[in-house]
Amino acid sequence: MAVLFMLLVFSTIAAMVWGAVEIAWRDVFVVLANTLPFYESVAGTEITQVYRDILLQIRVPRVILAAAVGSSLAVAGAVFQGLFRNPMADPYVIGISSGAALGAVFAMLGGFSLALGGFGAVPLFAFAGGISTMMLVYSMARVGRAVPVMTLLLAGIAVSAFLSALVSLFTYFAGEKLHMVVFWMMGGLGGATWQQVQVMVPYALAGYICVSFFSRELNAMLLGEETASNLGVNTEQVKKILLVGASLLVAAAVSTSGIIGFVGLVVPHFVRLVAGPDHRFLIPASALLGGSLLIATDTLARIIIAPSELPVGIITALIGAPMFIYLLKKRRKLRYFGGGG
Amino acid sequence: MGLNIDVHGLQLTYDTHPVLDGTEFSVERGDLVALLGANGAGKSTLLRCISRVLQPTGGQIILEGQQLQNFNTKEVARLMAVVPQETTADFDFTVEDIVMMGRFPYLRRFQKEDQGDQEIVRRAMEMTGISHLADRSIATLSGGEKQRVIMARAVSQQPEVLLLDEPTANLDIGYQSMLLELASRLNREKDVTVIAAIHDINLAVHHFNRFILLSGGRVLAAGRAEEVITPENIQKSYGVSASTYRHPLHGVLQVSVVGGRKTGEHVEGGPAAHVIGGGEEALPALELLSQKGCRLSVGPVSAQDSGCRFAHFHSLPVIIVPPFTSMNSEHRSEHLKMMRKADAVVVPPIPFGEGNLPIFEEVEIILKEGKAVYIIDLEGVEARDYSGRARNLLKGLIKQGAVALEKVEDLPAVINSGYNRDGGGVNER
Repeated sequence: MAVLFMLLVFSTIAAMVWGAVEIAWRDVFVVLANTLPFYESVAGTEITQVYRDILLQIRVPRVILAAAVGSSLAVAGAVFQGLFRNPMADPYVIGISSGAALGAVFAMLGGFSLALGGFGAVPLFAFAGGISTMMLVYSMARVGRAVPVMTLLLAGIAVSAFLSALVSLFTYFAGEKLHMVVFWMMGGLGGATWQQVQVMVPYALAGYICVSFFSRELNAMLLGEETASNLGVNTEQVKKILLVGASLLVAAAVSTSGIIGFVGLVVPHFVRLVAGPDHRFLIPASALLGGSLLIATDTLARIIIAPSELPVGIITALIGAPMFIYLLKKRRKLRYFGGGG
Repeated sequence: MGLNIDVHGLQLTYDTHPVLDGTEFSVERGDLVALLGANGAGKSTLLRCISRVLQPTGGQIILEGQQLQNFNTKEVARLMAVVPQETTADFDFTVEDIVMMGRFPYLRRFQKEDQGDQEIVRRAMEMTGISHLADRSIATLSGGEKQRVIMARAVSQQPEVLLLDEPTANLDIGYQSMLLELASRLNREKDVTVIAAIHDINLAVHHFNRFILLSGGRVLAAGRAEEVITPENIQKSYGVSASTYRHPLHGVLQVSVVGGRKTGEHVEGGPAAHVIGGGEEALPALELLSQKGCRLSVGPVSAQDSGCRFAHFHSLPVIIVPPFTSMNSEHRSEHLKMMRKADAVVVPPIPFGEGNLPIFEEVEIILKEGKAVYIIDLEGVEARDYSGRARNLLKGLIKQGAVALEKVEDLPAVINSGYNRDGGGVNER
């Protein structure tokens, strides 16, 4: 855990140093220190106002947002994989991303100028689309008072496919806004603001707390719902809470950054390969690793073709996939999800 | 301590199909109960209602005087542990992790497992003999090891009631009795009430002292083995005719449905063979020939002989002589008649003494009449000859046309070919 925390700190510093404009790491510390109210500036005067603005108005909120999005996705991925007992599950498995995408595309094409609390229409519609999709899937899968996870998974896949088709349909007729739509769906953290941080972080925190309360229950759920119930887990209640918590995380992430793939699928596996499946460790560790990974990849996305930017989703997959395959090969006894599954 | 469980008029309907249809019984604290019944009789469903995984659509389950619904999930888990037929262990938890999960109902949110919990887990693993596996991943264990881990988890739950749902269905015979022995040990030492759904009746009678037989979602019989495991009850619940008997070695009531035929039912066709004598030595020949479809007759044997039991079980003609006496002339002529009816006569590798040597006189008669006689394991006769004359007598028979066979397995082929040659066989039919 300490190692992961160091990783987060390191990637944060790296993210602030590198970019279209490189800022010396010493200056970074000085600027950050100067923001603290009780700190008397020592060498701050030589640093130009431009650097100060780049750091405080652009990079810092962006890094925080990257950390929040990355950890939200990784934690949601871990929860869905555990809940569905399925290694293929990712944060988008029950269609939250498709719902969010539909909301976002709708907002873009409609050209709504609605703004709530300084927020654009796109993230608002995306958030609403994600959450309502989750509720739709949940109500579709419900049988009496119980929600069988397999039905939930299948309903999610079906709804997701339907919504994706709608998104494609709208995209097809997007005309001059096509570029905007495609870019949004690739995901990215460009144009991060403090305002976004203020809105996103509380949701992410709420979702995270909600989920981490139920780590031990999630361990028992891995052995099957019936076993969990025999061990004293109120399975239906736990499922509902975890589903809502994870959906909050995903909807918040998607609405701020679009659909960033791979982080939510791979980070939990990564942690499991190294440290085992205990959710009491897995969830915080996934949060740290997911945050670090997205900060690092976002930094790369900014500098590879600077001053222009690549969509960060491309980088996460390009770097994450080979790393993951390497780890799989190294731990050849692929036993962490059981030989036969 | 153990708990009383009373089940009153339990109803459970899947779609429109009633699985439990007024199930009614009670289990006293400290009982060791085997739940018997055919597939679909409602055993698992009943156990899942008791463990509250399923909600019955009617009726009541009373735990120590209180309605089961009034307990919360964790309370139920502190009172009852369940060992299912099979546990899928896809994730890489260690054995110790899994056993520690048995402590879940005792822990508050975020409360760490303390030394007391660790001690309980250690003892549970010791009791089930899995201490050496503590750090292994559950996914790498064999079925038998895995089931003991699940049992250890149940033990660490410190339950008053242990429910087992066909826990031995996927285990080899060694692990089967080991697991049930563990259950009865918990019952003995901690007075845990045990209810186990179990398919293998003959296994169940060894380890349990009360039996509940379910049929069509109702209790057909409940009580001691003799009261519950009867041919009539087996016929009603499993739809097969069965015989019950006391096992010759351990004296426990047993059920057999294999090869039992009702009186008056005879095999059509096939060669008729007469097997001389009985005892463990004659059984291999009897069993093999019976399997190959021979019409058999047996004798002479004493009433307590296993050959005689075989004959009764299969409703075969048999000549019974009183034990410790030599055959009188009536027996001997009866025996001669019986041999004459057969297509072939078999002398299995039985022991010989002055008591049964006179048989050879009748054998000689039928040999002269042209009957096929097969003598098995002539070479080994000295070891089982208590008269000192058997070898010569047998050799004499061979000179007169009897055939010596090395082993029992050679019998069916020669008997069949002799039968076909003599015109009673397959070719004509």
